[in-house]
Amino acid sequence: MMIRRLSRVMAALAWLAAPLPLLAQTTANDADDETLARGAYLATASDCTACHTAHGGESMAGGLRIASPVGEIVATNITPSTSHGIGNYSEEQFARVLRHGIRADGANLYPAMPYTAYARMSDEDIHALYVYFMHGVAPVDVPTPPTKLPFPMNLRVAMKGWNLLFHDATPLEEDPEQSAAWNRGRYLVEGPTHCSSCHTPRGFMMQELDDQAMAGAQVGPWYAPNITPDDVGGIGSWRHDELVTYLRTGKLDQAQAAGSMAEAITHSFQHLSDDDLSAIATYIEALPPIGPSDGEERQGDRFSHGRPSDELVNFRGDSYAEGLEGESRGAQIYSANCASCHQPDGRGTADGYYPRLFENGILGDENASNLIATILYGVERETEAEGHVFMPPFGEQPNAFNALSNDEIADLSNYLLTHFGRVDENGKASVEVTADDVQTIREGGPGSPLILLSRIGMGVGIVAVVLLGYWLLRRRRAAKR
Amino acid sequence: MTQTASADVVIVGTGVVGVVVAEQLLDAGFSVLMLDAGPRVSRAEIVENFRNLPLGLKGSASSSYPPKPWAPHPMPSTGNPEDDYLQLEGPDAYAQTYIRYAGGSTWHWAGTCWRLTPDDMRLNSLYGVGRDWAFDYATLDPYYNLAEYSLGICGPSDPALQWPPQPRSRPYPMPHLPFSPGEDKFTRVMKEKLGYTNVPVAQARNSGMPYDDRPACCANNNCVPVCPIGAKYDAATALNRLEAKGAVILSNAVAHRIETGEGNRIEAVHYLDPERQSHRVTGNHFVVACNAIETPKLLLMSADSRNPNGIANSSDQVGRNMMDHPQLALTLTLDEPYWLGQGPVVNSGIMETSQGDFRAEHAGAYFRMNNFARNRYETFNALKTGKVGRALDEEIRRRTACTVNVVAAHEILPDPNNRLTLSANKDWLGLPKPHIYYDVGDYTRRSAEVYSMPIARRIAEAMGATEVKEPSAFAQSKHLMGSTIMGTDPANSVVDPDCRAYDHANLFLPGGGAMPSTACGNSTITMVALAFKAAEALIDQARRA
Repeated sequence: MMIRRLSRVMAALAWLAAPLPLLAQTTANDADDETLARGAYLATASDCTACHTAHGGESMAGGLRIASPVGEIVATNITPSTSHGIGNYSEEQFARVLRHGIRADGANLYPAMPYTAYARMSDEDIHALYVYFMHGVAPVDVPTPPTKLPFPMNLRVAMKGWNLLFHDATPLEEDPEQSAAWNRGRYLVEGPTHCSSCHTPRGFMMQELDDQAMAGAQVGPWYAPNITPDDVGGIGSWRHDELVTYLRTGKLDQAQAAGSMAEAITHSFQHLSDDDLSAIATYIEALPPIGPSDGEERQGDRFSHGRPSDELVNFRGDSYAEGLEGESRGAQIYSANCASCHQPDGRGTADGYYPRLFENGILGDENASNLIATILYGVERETEAEGHVFMPPFGEQPNAFNALSNDEIADLSNYLLTHFGRVDENGKASVEVTADDVQTIREGGPGSPLILLSRIGMGVGIVAVVLLGYWLLRRRRAAKR
Repeated sequence: MTQTASADVVIVGTGVVGVVVAEQLLDAGFSVLMLDAGPRVSRAEIVENFRNLPLGLKGSASSSYPPKPWAPHPMPSTGNPEDDYLQLEGPDAYAQTYIRYAGGSTWHWAGTCWRLTPDDMRLNSLYGVGRDWAFDYATLDPYYNLAEYSLGICGPSDPALQWPPQPRSRPYPMPHLPFSPGEDKFTRVMKEKLGYTNVPVAQARNSGMPYDDRPACCANNNCVPVCPIGAKYDAATALNRLEAKGAVILSNAVAHRIETGEGNRIEAVHYLDPERQSHRVTGNHFVVACNAIETPKLLLMSADSRNPNGIANSSDQVGRNMMDHPQLALTLTLDEPYWLGQGPVVNSGIMETSQGDFRAEHAGAYFRMNNFARNRYETFNALKTGKVGRALDEEIRRRTACTVNVVAAHEILPDPNNRLTLSANKDWLGLPKPHIYYDVGDYTRRSAEVYSMPIARRIAEAMGATEVKEPSAFAQSKHLMGSTIMGTDPANSVVDPDCRAYDHANLFLPGGGAMPSTACGNSTITMVALAFKAAEALIDQARRA
């Protein structure tokens, strides 16, 4: 492991020292329809718009504020505006952003921009993206507010050290041992669609842990679940066509997309070709299967638990206020706030628009983050196939159906987990939610940017010290000579 | 008495009209303070109230909303008229239902949104009856559009199915909801046998998609008394948003006196809290949006030396011209199952019967087959058969499937004798209860005799009814209109075409009270259009001040 890292450091150092490769200058002549269309498709696959288009704002004009406890990270204007966008970028500068996370002015990007994945794309595809952004996107001459993070998170230069250690900027190469579909799937998954950015757990320095690829990871308030083909820990029970349908619609009987996956499906996956979605599924199905992170032996995957049931008998006849004082508090909250769509016994609506809750991955998972986040933030996604899906939030939003307290959401969650989740032989849920857990998700989740960024900051500090030491050592040796 | 608060604009009432006016003002940069007599509750609480009701009360629009002692509203009768909140007199009972809760009575409306037609606004010119509106349909049209996009109205895109038949200047923001199988059958039978077109109701309900940050309808068929998921617009869904925009909303604050000052301008509104303490709220402009019973009551209660007949009442028309849509409902038993109850409670109707030259002689009528699930009503009829066990279950099932409710909703003319006054009977706070004299009048009664009931009987026959239960008297539609009537002449009207009180330059009284004609369709969408028009005038006036 250490050797591999060092070799990456050396490779990266070599790249920094070498003159930039000369790339062909792009002119309007290069904007032939085919390249433009390819670039547009890749931009969709890469879901650039998810971050770079503000809600209700101009396409790619930035301004989306990503709230974090340490301040707002503002996505930038990436339209070809010469005053406020990337209109003055040469193709090599553009490529340097995608491959190395370095802006035209030399500043490093935070890895909120998934250049670690985009780096694996081919030169041809980066060229097509460049052509698209220069000629297929309307320039918007509107500035975005600068991202101002407090020390030490504001030290962009710190990212240089991190890149040296963890960033592989080489394009993926075809594996002749594998099928064309697998190769295409790998290219899409590891490159533009950057699945591992969310689904692969990260180490102490926030680097993706390659041996745990797609085994599930916390992303803010949401948990990007295990999508390896493991029969217990992952999605091994899904048929190939189910995975394709999920990517197209975000909706299966046993799983529905919310949070950033709902955005990815709305803006990106649903627009990909049948062949590409099938290729993604082929590659995902061939990943090394990884079991549940707790390592426990168990029957069935997260989609196989619970059954229709209720506790109405314990509180019907009592007012809502009385029900909240009673023994079936969670059930009372469910009845008043949830049952009108999901039905009293959790069966959902017949068409699945409002999904069933039993045999549903959100309740059978070992991590309750998505359950809590769904209650707090609701669900929204829009696809051509399934229309505009919306569940109202139960947090503090103006349109919250009911602003539930941490205690109420904990009780509701535990009711749901007991009835529709994984339980032991005594009927006790394998996952329990506390009011503190709810507060954590309310604040943006355990993997909140504060922790993430400070870890990066700390990591970079360590790297800087190591490199400084190395440099001093070499100088001393050189001086001795 | 304490001086509690002040704002650019003080709005009494947090129902749909108050909420719409408030949001326009907030968006224009004015500070807004709102008062509501009743409590502010969560939807969850009301949903559970409904579920806990005995079956016999589930049809009651108000029983899920128990009134607070300080904010009484009409409830199912106890049998003793003295206990009733509305003190009623006259040949017909103005026995309306509305609730005094923050969010107002759209909590329990069906969401039906029929616009007026151009003819509906010119009854006097065209037919020599009633009153003309102070402006024409083209003037109201843009405000209807605002209302439809603000509340989120779904309606048909096919012009042949739209009401009124005039081409629309803007499409509905959402497609209409599908018909239930029973409605499909009804539509077919009406067309084939009687030539009537049963058209989709334009309604404030999210149709197949979210709208206004609220979810899509999932057909609980529970619109009345409460949409359990907020897919139907009700003003309660807007209260948090108004607060996020800076509004101050005081619930359990019972406005009981409007105070005038120099130039007969309104200076303040006084309200009582549940401890019976009085508070004074000042502002530059005032809006009273408590609809056609509570608004005139408050105006009459506020009589002072400048306004001995009550606020805004130099015309003596405050409280007069009480109107509604008097309705006659037939219960039909059919050979074939109709299985009503899928989708919203009112989803289609025949509107063409509301128009015609006959209006010189009698009222028009709008016919609808209600889409309420029938088990709530028919269970009691099944029990009366004496059957038990499986036979009873089957009887309930048969009646639920094979009975329908066909309603004829009529228009009514404004009559000054139909009048709200202050009763000597007092409520918990010592405030007078409303006393209302009401007579639906010959114009409407004649319609029942020669027009609407004959049509209703033909409808029953066309549907193959084996049993027809006819009503014995007019029932109420809960569409309060007319008590602060609009007109161009201050001598016979309370408000001007912008719903501004003729007697007080800084007082606006938008809502059903201003409507000079009722037509046959539900009044809310017109009330909201008037609210947008009034808000525009208020903002203009406030900016010039």
